[in-house]
Amino acid sequence: MAMRCKRCRGRAVMELRRHNAAFCRDCFLHYVGQQVTRAIAKYRMLGHTDRVLVAVSGGKDSLALWDLLLDLGYRADGLYLSLGIGAYSERSKAVCQEFAAARGATLLVHDLAGEHGYTIPEAAGQGGRSSCGVCGLSKRYVFNRAALDGGYDVVCTGHNLDDEAAVLFGNTLRWDTAAMARQFPVLEATRPGLVKKAKPLYRVAERETAGYCVLKGIDYVVEECPLVAGNTQMRHKETLNQMEEAAPGTKHTFLFGYLDRAAALLKVADVTELAECARCGMTTQAPDDPAEPPVCAFCRSKDRLVRSLPVVEGASR
Amino acid sequence: MLVTARLRPPDRTVEVADVRRVADLLASLEVLPGAVLVIRDGALLTSQDELHDGDRVEVRFAISGGG
Repeated sequence: MAMRCKRCRGRAVMELRRHNAAFCRDCFLHYVGQQVTRAIAKYRMLGHTDRVLVAVSGGKDSLALWDLLLDLGYRADGLYLSLGIGAYSERSKAVCQEFAAARGATLLVHDLAGEHGYTIPEAAGQGGRSSCGVCGLSKRYVFNRAALDGGYDVVCTGHNLDDEAAVLFGNTLRWDTAAMARQFPVLEATRPGLVKKAKPLYRVAERETAGYCVLKGIDYVVEECPLVAGNTQMRHKETLNQMEEAAPGTKHTFLFGYLDRAAALLKVADVTELAECARCGMTTQAPDDPAEPPVCAFCRSKDRLVRSLPVVEGASR
Repeated sequence: MLVTARLRPPDRTVEVADVRRVADLLASLEVLPGAVLVIRDGALLTSQDELHDGDRVEVRFAISGGG
């Protein structure tokens, strides 16, 4: 017998085992909107007068987030950063541009190679960071800078419940308490040079964002990034999904328990001092030696990468 | 009874025999139901939905490794 919607008893299309529920199309879309509204309200992420910049990759999470914020009446522009990953990046950019055109929304496009002199495939295998590590660092830097330059009040990213649970899982396995202290659904702009960051999808599982896109007819890039295979976060997600299968709600309990009961304790204990990067002026961690000029992780990484790459005539390296 | 399943990513297609429901198909493919969406003719299916001979479905993995 077909499953029935928990709210209206219509034919269900999405089953949410962690909530012991199933929903029809309209009730599921209502549920997702409600989760996002609740997240925004609980952590005071956004206001309706704020200028919001949504970091979009062309994937299910960021496009679902942009769509939801527009539907909820927020002033949300998109920002796509081209990472130079061949056809994958071209397709991702096209998907974002098509979404923006269909919604009549504004999309800013930045290009890592054009603006900073390297692509993510070039970064793979260079220096101490993995390609995913350089990618994450580059995105955080460019999103913050673009938001500052554009006068945006807040940057929203499409991190979902599974992303957050997997990151927390990894940080817990290493007892990386400094990283845990910074893992929160909202990070306030605590000093000039920092823009507020928010993750309005932290209550929504990634299978749910994918379902949202299918039900709303949002074309997203289904293909996985060709550089991501075997990365640590994927392995952690697979492990958590095995546990979730045996005990639905495990990821939810793990993440929400942390946020409700442990995050504040770690935040208080986090005494990281911040300083202004001597090269680019962005906020960074102060060096242990006060005589040493502070240089942010992005500038250090970029220096290493650009030095290791062949000189290209006319490139801004 | 034969069902054709397109799994992605990565993209591959397999034929599965004797599966009455979506849950049977996923078990046969050894895929965790909580990690995928199953789509037939553009519509999402739940684990209890019935399959029919000749059905073509997409089993779309919803796990991504960004971050």
